[in-house]
Amino acid sequence: MELINSIILVSAILLVLSIVTSVIALRIGAPLLLFFLAIGVVAGPDGLAVVHFESVEAAYLIGSIALAIILFESGLDTPILSYRRAAAPALTLATVGVLITAGLVGIAAQFLFDLSRLEALLLGAVVASTDAAAVFLLLRVGGVTIRGRARSILEIESGTNDPVAIFLTLSLSGAIAAGSTAPGWSLLIDLLRQAGIGMALGAVGGGVIALALNRLRLDPGLLPIAALGLALLTFAATTDAGGSGFLAVYVAGLIVGNLPLRGRLGLRRFLSGLTWLSQIVMFVMLGVLATPSSFGPVLGPAIALSLFLILVARPLAVSLCLIPFRIGVAETTFIAWVGLRGAVSILLAIVPNLMALPQGSLFFAVAFIIVTVSLLVQGWMIRPMARWLRLIVPRRLGPVDRIELDLPGNADQELVAYSILEGSPVARGQRLPRWARPALVIRGGRVIPVHAARPWTVGDHVYLFAAPTRIPLLDRLYAGSRPLSEDDRDFFGDLAFHPGVTLGTLAELYGLPLTVENANRTLADLFDAEFQHAGEIGDRLRLGTVELIIRDMENGRIVKVGLSLQPDRKTSARLPLFEQPLAHLSRFAVATTRRWPWKRRAGKNRG
Amino acid sequence: MMDLITPRSIIANLRVGTKKQALQELAKRASELTGQHERAVFDVLLERERLGTTGVGHGIAIPHGKLPNLDRVYGIFARLERPVEFDAIDEQPVDLMFLLLAPDSAGADHLKALARVSRLLRDTSMCEKLRGSDNADAIYALLTQTEASHAA
Repeated sequence: MELINSIILVSAILLVLSIVTSVIALRIGAPLLLFFLAIGVVAGPDGLAVVHFESVEAAYLIGSIALAIILFESGLDTPILSYRRAAAPALTLATVGVLITAGLVGIAAQFLFDLSRLEALLLGAVVASTDAAAVFLLLRVGGVTIRGRARSILEIESGTNDPVAIFLTLSLSGAIAAGSTAPGWSLLIDLLRQAGIGMALGAVGGGVIALALNRLRLDPGLLPIAALGLALLTFAATTDAGGSGFLAVYVAGLIVGNLPLRGRLGLRRFLSGLTWLSQIVMFVMLGVLATPSSFGPVLGPAIALSLFLILVARPLAVSLCLIPFRIGVAETTFIAWVGLRGAVSILLAIVPNLMALPQGSLFFAVAFIIVTVSLLVQGWMIRPMARWLRLIVPRRLGPVDRIELDLPGNADQELVAYSILEGSPVARGQRLPRWARPALVIRGGRVIPVHAARPWTVGDHVYLFAAPTRIPLLDRLYAGSRPLSEDDRDFFGDLAFHPGVTLGTLAELYGLPLTVENANRTLADLFDAEFQHAGEIGDRLRLGTVELIIRDMENGRIVKVGLSLQPDRKTSARLPLFEQPLAHLSRFAVATTRRWPWKRRAGKNRG
Repeated sequence: MMDLITPRSIIANLRVGTKKQALQELAKRASELTGQHERAVFDVLLERERLGTTGVGHGIAIPHGKLPNLDRVYGIFARLERPVEFDAIDEQPVDLMFLLLAPDSAGADHLKALARVSRLLRDTSMCEKLRGSDNADAIYALLTQTEASHAA
């Protein structure tokens, strides 16, 4: 009995400690997950030795459940719009990218360690996937918004590459255990089969979860639990059927998150808490499992391998994978940099141990060191890097004071509450469109009839019903106003145009180059054609000496186009030296596969 | 900047209540300087506003357009006594305006002049000084002298 209580005591202390540290870590911008890992190490055998946890089976079990939850949540939080704009490049990274990374790291590992070819490749596979938890956390924490396409690619990639790395690791371990020495073609076929089954059953699971949540008359407190149960069921059933369970839960989450859902906010809050818990449990547990005192012999080569992964393997894999997709140099560099490794790699490093492979402990030590280096170097540098590459979207609105509330029994309307802020368009007398009128106003603690509430006073609380898609528009009306900063001009251009203005008009006004076929195209047409109807705020197109920028969008339509008179070269070309040759190569590939008519013309003018 | 404006191109204390009035007053001064019809200038400016606002934010507007019979690019600066609503990018009212008129044949010069004016008025301390002085000569000195020191 005493033992059980002391287990609870130590676990609770570790949990509380992790949460307290998270506050500090977020303040100083340090990679949070590293703190969790460190807490585990300190509590473990090499530190204070208060926790004795050596069962790799239990660790793998707990880690798998935690990872399934994290992936379900990450799917749930990914808007399908991200897929529309980033599916192809992200999925290429998640599949081909993982294979290239694993291959390159495998080759390097063979030189650095005393491993057979297949074992070296296994080491590559273990550290081949980026960590969803680490990437999601670092991209979202701190109120920094990374430009949409780079963010979408990274989020989708990190959510979908784990299954690939997990599969590779399991298959390679199995092959080594069976005494095989070289990878065979059956591996690839097996991969496709697992992915296919995973996707199909994940889709079914997602549909069932959404149906259950919308149809079952459950206690509201049980809804998220039902979703969790069904998600884990999807995971296990898919694995049982020979598919990738991790892919299945991710797909299920993606489907549930993008269907109209009763109690959506409740589910998301529950899952976001649970994801935090999963991350803490996973990292602390893996920290406890590690014995850094035994890492000595592999420390040097492992750090060398980490740097190889960060500086060579990942950038090379990313650049190669993104060549066909016309991704800008700054974005490519950023994506290459945000290849954070995390708990998944350490978790996968347990697999060789589980299978009792001869070099089992080496994998764990090397993976642990690589993850630590990656979190330290890449994690700490994400924000400076994003700023340097100019990928941070400046905040468009002033502060928003908004609360969202779930409505019982209704999936397509939400109740939102705003406090009216000084200087907001509403407070300045902006006419409210029909869909943005409050249902209820509270002023000075008293409910006021809406028709008697005008003019709005600062400090009023207004409650209104709206479709979730309208909320960004409401923010515009109710948000406090904020003057445009210098950076905004760089980012959104100096002048603004309506999207219906034709290129001909613009060219005539400013003496810009133009081809006959472009004269009657509108700015909106131009962006739609150039970005395949998936343009987003901040996207830029060169037109002679100026640049056109999507300034504003509503419901996926361009509503305002900016014009930058002197486009800053920094936004289009800033890259570390080692990527330059590849960047040129990709630019060349782009230039040969796709030609811009007005660019051709501009070239002629110069000649 | 000296090739764009003369001391006569400065309106130090423009008293207007609306965007339209402000543009009308600028068109009037432009017509005096260039010998073009006031109405023609106003129409060109209005036509340009229809494509999208020239209120670039921070209380600054750079209305501009092209006219057939000009001999060069003309600039006119106006400091408004009271800010007017201008549908600016940041929805803030405008109190500093720099009008640019370019000949049809201007080509790249139009853009160059726009970029120069835009860069000049991005300087927040410059705008503070402009807002603080209600004397045309002082404003002219401010606008031209910084340009020279920028070039140096």
